[in-house]
Parts: sequence; structure tokens; C-alpha cells
Amino acid sequence: MIRIGRQYLLLTVTLIILLSANFLVLDTEAQKQWRQFSIVNAGYSTDPIMTVLPFDAIPAITDPRFVEADQARLDVNSPIIGVSLNGDSHAYSIRLLNDHEIVNDQVGDIPIATTW
Amino acid sequence: MYNREIDGQVYTFGVSGKLWRDALLMYDHQTRSLWSHITGQAVEGTCQGKQLKILISMPKITWQVWKTNYPETKVLSVAYNPNHPGQQREDEVQDRYRQYHRSSRTGISKIEYNDFRLRNKEQIVGARIDDHYRAYPFSAFEGKTVINDTIDQTPILVFHHNDSGATAVFLSLLETEKLTFVDHTDYLVRDKQTETLWNLITGTGVKGRLKGKKLKRYPAINVYWFAWARYHPETTVYR
Repeated sequence: MIRIGRQYLLLTVTLIILLSANFLVLDTEAQKQWRQFSIVNAGYSTDPIMTVLPFDAIPAITDPRFVEADQARLDVNSPIIGVSLNGDSHAYSIRLLNDHEIVNDQVGDIPIATTW
Repeated sequence: MYNREIDGQVYTFGVSGKLWRDALLMYDHQTRSLWSHITGQAVEGTCQGKQLKILISMPKITWQVWKTNYPETKVLSVAYNPNHPGQQREDEVQDRYRQYHRSSRTGISKIEYNDFRLRNKEQIVGARIDDHYRAYPFSAFEGKTVINDTIDQTPILVFHHNDSGATAVFLSLLETEKLTFVDHTDYLVRDKQTETLWNLITGTGVKGRLKGKKLKRYPAINVYWFAWARYHPETTVYR
């Protein structure tokens, strides 16, 4: 009887400690997230903007360099995004884009943004 | 893909690290406004409301098929990958999204997706004709590469080629002639009206009466259903 009683006590105390700790942590996290939200002007949208990374944590490409097709080291089945404007054609390896998300480029005299 | 120039001002974009509607926002170096790369519209800042013009591109295709059709193409060089110094190949980067693609998890936020017309991770061709949006599940292209459809009285041709992943949407009206397309071989198709053979990677007639003619393109993307429905809840679904 005494042994069971003590186990119950231990269990209850442990639970109380864990739940309190949880509550305190959650509260801080929730507070942090709320501070990071900024509500877009209601006239356009009320979907919140949430900050997950600093600016440029993912480095967009702003000065892209290119190689000719026969110099490109790509597998035949490598997935690429392609664009052809005014006879000028550019290919962007999707795997390479995963690390940059955005390429600021110029194709056929048109300034373009390729996004992924 | 967007034209970075609006009213004579050319914008340069970076990754803001901020999420809106489950996607990362771009920021422009000129004003630090925030832009959705899904809609091409600025959602916050002095540029709020400005709209980047969409440019037609091939959303995804194998290198081999692209190079065959555009032999003069240039390729973005690996020199611009500071995360992987010493990388030797343009495609060497580990696919960090592989786990994401395999799972049924959607997006990053806790928002519920409740458009059950298709499975969340069903891959679709998303077509936009003026203000109309329609989703064509990849499964609709089983055994064929073309779907002849009409959206708001506009006759269109939706092309998806499984082997290369190539996707395109065209107006199937040439001057006043309405064309209906059927598969020929690989990514070549034939129109029933003139028996012209068309290359739908380049959107050009390659043999027959309409050889040399180009079909007008509409923007087309490959995307998961949940993301498409999130941004275009008014979308219809091709059945």
C-alpha cells in the first residue's frame, strides 16, 4: 500500500513539473511567434507574414554566370527549368536552384527573375 | 518566371526569409518591399500591389530534351554555389526536398487544407487562361501527352510529357482555325485538321501545311494540388 502510494505521488509530482515546464516553454514560444507576425494591410490581405529566417539566409543569385551546353556537367535526366525569349535560351538546374531560390537574370534583353 | 521591370524600374530580388501563405516571400533591393513569388505581386512595403508580369517558361524538363530542342542554350554555372565549394557539377547538390516530396506533409504552417477534390500531394498541371484557373492531374495524361479542352470558350491544348516532365499550355486556335491534337510519337503531336506535325516543346509546326507556325502559349506550372488550391480556391479541376 505504501509503495503504491509513493509511486502515485512521484508520478503526480512528475506530471505537474512536466506540465508546468511545458506551459512555460509554450508560452514563450507563442509570445515569440506573435512578435514575429506582422499583419498585412487589411485592404489587401489579412494573412500573416511569419519570419523564419533572416534576410539572405538563402542567397539569391544576382550575377549569374553561364556555360555553353556542351560544357554543362549535367546528367541527361537532370531536371532543369528552361526559358527561351527572343532566341536566347537559358537552363537552370533545379537542384542548383534549391540552394538559391531566386536567380536575377537577363534573357533576350529582358530582365527576368527565375523563382523556385 | 517574371519580368523584373515595372514602369521603367528594374527590381533585383533576394530571399526575405519570411513566409506568407506557406511560401517564402522575395524582397526587392530597391525598396525592401515583400513579394510573393507565387503570384508575382508585392504584399507589403512601398511596392504593395505592384504586379510582376509573368513570362512563359518550361517549368521542368530533363536536360537531354531541353538541349535537343535548344542546342544553343546556356546553362547556369556551378560557380555560383557558395554553399558547396568545390562542387564540380551543375546538378551535384543534394536534393534537400526529397523527404518533403515523399511525405504527405503539406507546407510549413498549421493551416488546414480542405479542398479534397484531389489528394494534397497530387501533382498537377496548373493552367491559367485570363482569370480562369484549371488543374490537370498528371494521372489524366496516362498513355497520352495532350488534352484538348475549353476554358471559358477558349480552346486550349494542355501538354504534359511524362518522360521529360515537359509541360505547356497553348491556344489551339491558329488565326481562325481551331485545331484538335492527338499524339504522334514521343513529344510530337499531330493536328487532325491539317495533319501537321507539331513539336510541343518549342510549340512549332515541324512538318506539313502549318510547318513553321508557332502556337500561342499560356502560363503553365507543375505544382502540388494543395498549393494550387490554396492560392486559387476558385480553380476548376479537369476530369
